[in-house]
Amino acid sequence: MTTMVGETMTELGELSRGQLVLRVVVLLGPVVALLASGPAGHWPPWWVIALVVGLAGGFAAFPESPVGVVAILTVLVWWTAALDDGLHPAVLVAATALLASHVAAVLASYGPGEMPVDPALLRLWAVRGTLLLVAVPLVWGLALLLRGEAEEPGIWVVGVATGLVGTVAAGVALTSRQQEEES
Amino acid sequence: MSHPDAQWRPTGALGRAVVVAAVAVCGALLVGDPALLVIAVPFVAIATLGLLHRPARSPVLAARLDHASLHEGQGTTSRLTLADADDAEYLTRASGHAPYVAMRPHQGQAGALLDGPAGPAPLVEVSPRRWGRRVLGEEKVALMSPWAGYRFGPLLLGGQQLRVLPATSAYDSRAEAPHPLGLVGAHRSRRPGAGTELAGIRPFLPGDRLRRVNWRVSLRTGDLHVISTRAEEDTGVLLVVDALADHGASGGVDGPSSSLDLSVRAASAIAEHHVRSGDRVALRVVGRGRELVGYGTGTRHLRRLHHTLAGIRPGEMVGEADPGVLQLGVTGGTVVILLSPMLAESIGTVAAMLTRRGVPVLVVDTLPGEVRPGVAEGTDPRTAMLAWRMRVLERSMVLRRLAALGCPVVPWRGPGTIDDVLRRLARRAELPRVAAR
Repeated sequence: MTTMVGETMTELGELSRGQLVLRVVVLLGPVVALLASGPAGHWPPWWVIALVVGLAGGFAAFPESPVGVVAILTVLVWWTAALDDGLHPAVLVAATALLASHVAAVLASYGPGEMPVDPALLRLWAVRGTLLLVAVPLVWGLALLLRGEAEEPGIWVVGVATGLVGTVAAGVALTSRQQEEES
Repeated sequence: MSHPDAQWRPTGALGRAVVVAAVAVCGALLVGDPALLVIAVPFVAIATLGLLHRPARSPVLAARLDHASLHEGQGTTSRLTLADADDAEYLTRASGHAPYVAMRPHQGQAGALLDGPAGPAPLVEVSPRRWGRRVLGEEKVALMSPWAGYRFGPLLLGGQQLRVLPATSAYDSRAEAPHPLGLVGAHRSRRPGAGTELAGIRPFLPGDRLRRVNWRVSLRTGDLHVISTRAEEDTGVLLVVDALADHGASGGVDGPSSSLDLSVRAASAIAEHHVRSGDRVALRVVGRGRELVGYGTGTRHLRRLHHTLAGIRPGEMVGEADPGVLQLGVTGGTVVILLSPMLAESIGTVAAMLTRRGVPVLVVDTLPGEVRPGVAEGTDPRTAMLAWRMRVLERSMVLRRLAALGCPVVPWRGPGTIDDVLRRLARRAELPRVAAR
C-alpha cells in the first residue's frame, strides 16, 4: 500500500505543468459542485466533504479510472437527497464544475502525464465545453418555466426523449458537415 | 495488424459520461428532480456525441527514421505514416526514456490534431548521444476519436536497431610512420625512389631521368648530377582496442567519457586519419567479442572499421588460455597503436612483447582522470577504494616498465596526441638495433 502511494506520488511529481493544472481542475470540480449546495441552503457535513475530496483526489490521480464516476455520482446523490428545491441557481455552478472536471480529465487522458498539454487540443475542448455549457442554463430556464405547472402524465419521459433526439440529431448534423468538409 | 491493442476501445471518459448521464436522467425521472437533469445535460451530449463518432476502420501505423546510419551526436527524424485514420481526431506519440538517446519533444512525447485522412503526424527528432547498438524510434502511439469516445492503442511500434558510429572527432597528425613498407602512400621511406622528399644530389647514372638533372650543380662541377628523392610509401597501422572492461561513467558525447568511450573515439579518429592518408589500417578488439578487421584502405574499409567499433561490448575474453599469447597478427612495416586504460595484465604483456620484438608500439592511455571504481552491493566501500588504489599503483608500475623498454605511453588528448611519439619512433627506426627473438 505504502509502495503504491509512493509510486503515485512519484508519478504526480513528474507531471507537466499543464497536466498539474488539469489535475487540480479535476480535483476541484466535484468538491465545488458539492459545496455549491451550501448557498442553496444545505451545507454538506464534513464527512461528505471528506468523502468527495478523497474520491476527487483519486479521480485527479487516475483520470481514466472509475473513481471519477463514483465522485460525480456522490455529488449527484447529495444534491438529490439534500435539496427540496433543486432549481436554485447554485445548480448551474455545480453543473459547470462537474463538466469542467470531466473535460479536464478527458484532456489529461490524451497522453502520458509528463506530456505537455497541446494548446490546439485545449482550445478545441474549451470551445466544446462552452457549447455544452450553453445547454445547461437553457434546460435550467425551461425547468424554471415549467415549475408549478400541472404535470401531464409522461411529460418527463417525453422531455428527456426530446432532449436525447435533439442531441442525436445535432450530433449527426455535425458529423455529416465535418465529413463533407474533409472530403 | 494482429496486436491486441490494435483496435478501437471505448475510453474511460465515454464510460463516465454514459454512466453519469444514464444515472442522472433515470434519477431525474424517478425522483422528479429537475436539478439532476440540469447537471446531466452536458454528460448526455458528450456521451451521445462520443458514441456517434464510433470509428469503423482500424488505422495502420508505421514509423521510420530518416537515416539508417548515424554518428553519436547526430540527429534524425522519426516520421509516422498513417493509413485509414479518417475516424481519428488526435494522435499521441510517446517514446519514454531510452539510455543515451535524446529526443525532441522531451521523451518523444508529442500529440497533434489530425486535420484530415493524411493529416500531419507530429515529428519526433531523435539523437543518439553515445556510440554502440541503440534502438531508436521505439514508441507507443495512440489515436483518439472525436469527442474522446474511443481510443486506438496505445500500440507499441518497434524501433530500428542501429549501430551508432563513434564521433569523428577532429584529429590530424603530421608525423611520419616509423616503418613505411608498402607500394604507394604519403610517408617518406628510407629507400630512394620517385618521391618528392629530397634525399640528396648524386652523379648521373644510366637510367636516371633527364628531368631529374640538376643543371646548376652540373654546370658548376662539370659532370651531370641528378636529384635523388626518397620513395613515399604507405604503412600498416594496427589498432588494438582494449575492451576487457569499461572504467568510469559515460555521459554520452556531451558529458564525461568512460575509458571505452575514449578508446573507441580515439581509434575512430586515428583510423579515419590513416585511411584518408592512404595507409592500410587493421583493427583488433581485445574483449568479449574479439572483433577483427583485416588490413585495408578506402572509404568502405573505414566504414567497416567504424561499424566494428560501434559494435564493441566490454567484457572478458572467454577461453583465452594464456593472456600473454594474444595473436595480434602484426606484419612487417606495421605500427601498433594500443588503446587501453592499461589495467589488464594481458595488454601490458603484449605491448612489452611486441616492443622487444622491434615492432613500433604506441600505447594510448585511455583511463579517465576522475574515474572511481564501481562498488558492488554488499562490498565495503573502503575496501573497494583500497583495492582500486592498489590496482592503480600496479598500473603505474606497468607503465614505467613499458617506458623503460622503449614503448611510449601517451594519454589521449585529441589532435596531435601521437605526433611527437610517432616522430621519435620514426627516428629510432632509422637507427640500427638488435631485436629480441
